[in-house]
Amino acid sequence: MDNIHIEATERSPEINFNFQDNVYLIKGESYPEDVPAFFGPNINQLKDHLADMDSGKVTFNFELIYFNSTSAKVIMQLFDLLEDSADNGVDVTVNWIFESDDDNMEELGEEFGEDLESVKFNLVPQES
Amino acid sequence: MLATNLYNIRQALNEQGIIFCYSGYMTEAILSGIGQAIKQKMVIEEADSKTMRGVFSIFVEQMQNVIRYSAERIPEVTGSESVLSFGLLTVGNENSAYSVTCGNKVLTKDTEKLRSHLEKISKMDQKELKVLYKQILKGEVPEGSKGAGVGFVDIARKASKPIEFDFTTLDDEYTFFALKAFI
Repeated sequence: MDNIHIEATERSPEINFNFQDNVYLIKGESYPEDVPAFFGPNINQLKDHLADMDSGKVTFNFELIYFNSTSAKVIMQLFDLLEDSADNGVDVTVNWIFESDDDNMEELGEEFGEDLESVKFNLVPQES
Repeated sequence: MLATNLYNIRQALNEQGIIFCYSGYMTEAILSGIGQAIKQKMVIEEADSKTMRGVFSIFVEQMQNVIRYSAERIPEVTGSESVLSFGLLTVGNENSAYSVTCGNKVLTKDTEKLRSHLEKISKMDQKELKVLYKQILKGEVPEGSKGAGVGFVDIARKASKPIEFDFTTLDDEYTFFALKAFI
């Protein structure tokens, strides 16, 4: 499967999906005009890729500065997808990277992460 | 007369603490442009980053609500790709508290549902809002296109006070709806 690399724009995040190394990144601001059109194809590829895995390691890094409520639904979907994959035997780590002075982004990370049972979830503060 | 009339409008806005006002058709491109202007203005005013994030976030949700749900739109059919939705947006700064207010027409027949949803949300504490937010994101609460949207819950969560909302009936078909959130 070809890797995905999409540069960030003012309203959409950088996407870096490396299917060989199983390292994934969504980074930046996320309030695209058409959220399903932006995320849909990328998430579908990830879904197909994860469906074929029952072992190995996956690392997913979220490094978001801002996301709107429509993007929040996509993030929730991704978390569910990663939890399913971890239930199937994959060693999944999710890193939620946030600017250390951004309490709101930290809380959102806690909220999204609190339902994960099989995924290893890390809150990673970063000096801005 | 021309200058006086326009200046009077500006003064009336100033008296209400409104520092930014847009009235007209809203599109996603206009959202981008206004968003940049609001960010720049707040940088100049040296607003702290938490306030800036709050104002910006509530602004985006408010404006996207108008773009998606205003009953005054061209073309009139909902769900068509390119739409112009009519609405009003103001950003205020009263006693050093920022507020973002949006207003648009809704269908009179939809107002009771919208009112009851907003009443419910405005009475919830942060903990209850968090639970509802996650339920909607997980699809556990069916998201009706009018009112139960996660956008309103997000606004209420980021607001520093309960959200204010109001309706004024224009005729049998249309009602004007306004929502204000303080940051």
